[in-house]
Amino acid sequence: MRMVHVLTSVVGTKCELEVKNGSVYEGVFKTYGPECDLVLDAAHRKSPEPTTGPRKEDIVESIIFKASDVVVVTFKDVDPNFARKVSTDTDNFTDAAVTGRINGEHKEKDLEPWDGGDGHNSDSLESLDTDVSNGWDPNDMFKYNEEKYGVLSTYDSSLSTYTLPLERDNSEEFLKREARAAQLAEEIEASASYKARVALENDERTEEEKYTAVVRGDRETHTLGRENKYVPPGQRNREPLSWSTGRQNSPRLGQGSVGPSAPRPGPHDYSPNSGTDQRVVNGGPPRMSPKSQRTPRSHRVPPSRISGMPPGVDLISHNSPGEAPSGPPNRNNSSEGTWSSVVSGAHRPRSPRQNSMGGSSPGSSSLPSPQTEALTSASSPTTASPTPSMVTSPTGDAKECRVQETRQTPPSANKDIIKSLDSSPSINRGVCKGPPSMPSDHRKQIDNLKKFSVDFKLQSSSNSDTSFEVNTKPVRDPAEKPKDLPLDKASAAGRDAAEDNGAGNSAQASEAAPVPPTTSTNASKPDSPAALSPSPSAADAKRTGLDVTSQGVQTSTLSGSKHEDKEEKKEAVQDQVRKSTLNPNANEFKPRFNSQPKPANTPTPPRPQGQPSPSIVVPPPQTVYGQPVCFPQMYPLTPVSPGVQSPAMYQVQMPHMTVSQSKPYRPGKVPNMGQQRSDQHHPPGTPTMMHPATAPGPQIVAPSQAYSAQYFTCSPQQFTSQPLVQQMPHYQSQAQHVFSPVMQGGTRMMAPPTHGQPSLVSSSTTQYHEQTHTMYVSAGPMPQQYPHPSATLHPHPQHPQPSATPTGQAQQGGPPQHGGPPNHPAASPVQHPQHQQAAAAAAAAAQALHMASQPPQQQMYSALAATPPSMTPGPNPQSPQASFPSAQQAVYIHPQQVQHGYNHSHIAHVQQAHMQSGMVPSHHPGPTHPPMMLMATQGPPGGPQGPMAQTALNPIPVSSTTHFSYLAHPQGQWTSPQ
Amino acid sequence: MAAPGPGEYFSVGSHVSCLTCLGQRLQGEVVAFDYQSKMLTLKCASSSGKPNLHDVILINLAYVSEVDIINDRTETPPPLASLNVSKLANRARTEKEDKLSQAYAISAGVSVEGQQLFQTIHKTIKDCKWQEKNIIVMDDVIISPPYQVENCKGKEGSALSHVRKIVEKHFRDLESQKSMQRSQAQQTQKDSTLSS
Repeated sequence: MRMVHVLTSVVGTKCELEVKNGSVYEGVFKTYGPECDLVLDAAHRKSPEPTTGPRKEDIVESIIFKASDVVVVTFKDVDPNFARKVSTDTDNFTDAAVTGRINGEHKEKDLEPWDGGDGHNSDSLESLDTDVSNGWDPNDMFKYNEEKYGVLSTYDSSLSTYTLPLERDNSEEFLKREARAAQLAEEIEASASYKARVALENDERTEEEKYTAVVRGDRETHTLGRENKYVPPGQRNREPLSWSTGRQNSPRLGQGSVGPSAPRPGPHDYSPNSGTDQRVVNGGPPRMSPKSQRTPRSHRVPPSRISGMPPGVDLISHNSPGEAPSGPPNRNNSSEGTWSSVVSGAHRPRSPRQNSMGGSSPGSSSLPSPQTEALTSASSPTTASPTPSMVTSPTGDAKECRVQETRQTPPSANKDIIKSLDSSPSINRGVCKGPPSMPSDHRKQIDNLKKFSVDFKLQSSSNSDTSFEVNTKPVRDPAEKPKDLPLDKASAAGRDAAEDNGAGNSAQASEAAPVPPTTSTNASKPDSPAALSPSPSAADAKRTGLDVTSQGVQTSTLSGSKHEDKEEKKEAVQDQVRKSTLNPNANEFKPRFNSQPKPANTPTPPRPQGQPSPSIVVPPPQTVYGQPVCFPQMYPLTPVSPGVQSPAMYQVQMPHMTVSQSKPYRPGKVPNMGQQRSDQHHPPGTPTMMHPATAPGPQIVAPSQAYSAQYFTCSPQQFTSQPLVQQMPHYQSQAQHVFSPVMQGGTRMMAPPTHGQPSLVSSSTTQYHEQTHTMYVSAGPMPQQYPHPSATLHPHPQHPQPSATPTGQAQQGGPPQHGGPPNHPAASPVQHPQHQQAAAAAAAAAQALHMASQPPQQQMYSALAATPPSMTPGPNPQSPQASFPSAQQAVYIHPQQVQHGYNHSHIAHVQQAHMQSGMVPSHHPGPTHPPMMLMATQGPPGGPQGPMAQTALNPIPVSSTTHFSYLAHPQGQWTSPQ
Repeated sequence: MAAPGPGEYFSVGSHVSCLTCLGQRLQGEVVAFDYQSKMLTLKCASSSGKPNLHDVILINLAYVSEVDIINDRTETPPPLASLNVSKLANRARTEKEDKLSQAYAISAGVSVEGQQLFQTIHKTIKDCKWQEKNIIVMDDVIISPPYQVENCKGKEGSALSHVRKIVEKHFRDLESQKSMQRSQAQQTQKDSTLSS
């Protein structure tokens, strides 16, 4: 013991060590071993004759001397107190010093009571405890001093010593100035930035509440809904999980027992509104809380309601409140943009995570969830007057969906993610199903989730209906979501989801901000879709403003017109949806189920492999699909709102995905980085309005910010013409960013069915683009991706279905498309995960890639079709695609990675092309987009897609043809993979 | 180990004297003894004569021929103070770096004066290093051979003037030291002559 102490105390001192043979080594004593082996650093053998010192070459890094070889070691000039923690001279009375001196002899110190003596007045102490006032009033001080000490203060409240008093007069000049000052003050105080800053200052939320949106929801729910008990941060995640599990479990359990169908039934039971509402509520609380915090008004209340309200209750309450509180939503729109983004971000992250968790299956489920989220958000807004509640509910739904998905997926490899998701999603989950059960039986849960996803879709559809009703609210929610998304972007999965949401949110936000009037007029339903589309356009415009002003303008204008159109359509759809929400949902659910099951299967495999972000991405598309399916009739409304939201979510997720992928794949790929960054930046930087755009932008941006912006603009423009068009932008952006986003976009464009396909397509296209890019770089990778997509199963199965459906969808959309979308989503998620996992699931990755590539291509195509530039992009995609098919098969993981990197750039190009095409699509609005989507979807399946694409293309002469060519190539390629 | 027995063990605090196989006689106060490795640690007065420092000697009793206990100590040894390990590790690291730096300078053919100056500067300013034969202080001042005050170059400023002061003082001290040594040498010579 003492030896250890002594030796330790001389560590770092120079020593001379004499060994048996008499030679002496000098070095710095480094350490010692249990057998008293000694280690000298920088040791050299000391020569007998004194020299100036060792030469560099004489010094050995370190030498270990065995104790048996050592004769004597001399440490010279050791300061025994050097390493003493407490110097007895200086710190005699610190706890450390006191205990340090009795080290090893633990003797209880005799404590002596302190006697303050009689001099202390107990009054003073008591007064301290009872005195609630915040110190003394200055006047009291002056008075006290005057009375007690006779000191007169010279304080002058006018501070005439330091400043001059304002001389007021009635002169015209003065009044003029006064009025001017008042006006300025009013302007400043009315500005959003001022309010935001004031809100920051007066924000009563703790930093944790502010910056841990995910956890916060849980906490809020806890405090608000259940108990006012403080939950330590460390336990919040768990609790959320438990909550989610508990909540979700109950729902899920019921559903779970039934199986996938069971969960879905739940939503059905809810009916669109109820289901969405509940979901919204669940998800809402967390998001809402942030918003509420920001905006004390309605936000806080809604959150509390949401949190407090049980899922079911919430649903009801939300619905009614949602509509009424249109005013609050507006507020939210401005400020919420950021808030919403934050909230959405939380949701998104969850969803992404879920997706990732789910892997392929999660992807499918996740896709649905995003859609659901969007739908929910839309629905919630519509239903619930309080935007927050609306938002929350949508997010909640999405979250729930995602959560479920995530839970399911978690088993594979995303446990961490799942956890995080669970924590955040817990609320959502609680709404959707029992999260706890999910975690335990991840696979089962996954299956359930898949079912849920299907259900979700249904819900989403219902939600969308609700959303349609309260478009304004949804919009706000979306805006919030986008904000959240940016925040969450960090998590790839989260990002994807966020992107989807963000897109939706952004769209909504944009709608709310720019379109506020329209939304109001349209009634929330149509407006929301329109708003969504506009928002994307707005986002695009913003981005474009950065990148290309002209584009942005165009997009904005287009979006505006489109919004109107969309609104009308949406309204019609909404009405239909409202009326037939239950029935449509049921129908939709079935299709979705079909499609989803497959995705789920594929997703599950990916899950392990799949990364959170990828999985997330995938899920959104699925959700989108599901929603679209539900709303085939509703298309405009549901697709748009869901699509938008989902896109946002996707985008966010996408960035993550892209980042992860891009980073790993190609370090040099700046585009990806940029995109990611841009995504992140955009969400935070751009509030609600910007968010939508930003959300998409981020995705796009991920590939290339500038491009993304342009793309966005283009896509928005295209979309603007019709709701579908708007969705398209989202899709494009999403697709570019993330597969899921693409998917969503497609769904939006097409309407639910189409969406599903589009989403698939978009995802595939995005991947393809990347692949194509990669293809350019290396054909091999591309092919691999394609094959993989097929391998992903989900996508493929879906694709086949989608292909069939797509055609039908293109025409009608509806269920078939939904089926397709789910598959795509699943595939995309899987793909993403795969990408990340790369080596782990080459096949899955390939599939994912395929999915992604396909969506990008579609986007590209659309862009191309729209404008000559698009054409150029198109060719590239085509060539890449063509090359891809063969190449892709050959190249597996690597290609994917490469593709990602390439994809970004390609995507950017593609996006641009899409933008252009998007312009064209605007003409074609619905049809073109669907075609696009179809094309994409068809492309992957192969033959079926081709036809579809063609059909779609037909509507769009130039663009379509170009697209077709591309698509055709892609399709052929795709088919081969499949 | 901390509780030495009367016969076999060395009690902490006792003074012992021993003769190693290499003919060294070592004497000091027992600080620690590890029975298993037969390592005995002694503390003795600093060889440099500094009052607050010690020399610590680690002796392997396997190579010791005689061990004489000069006086035993029955009092309980003082408790061990807790040690700041990070501080120790830091010291080890800096010592090593210093030594390597010195070796670098020697390898570069720096004169003894230059090395001494470096050590002197290093005591005051840790941020100094060798660059070939030049001493770089704070990346700002360069002292090149023969390391006189006029050899200090750099951006005019407080750093340069500060380093010049240090260099100036270093050589002044060196001079005084030499003169003292000279006088001492003379003294010894006188003594020797006287004695002789």
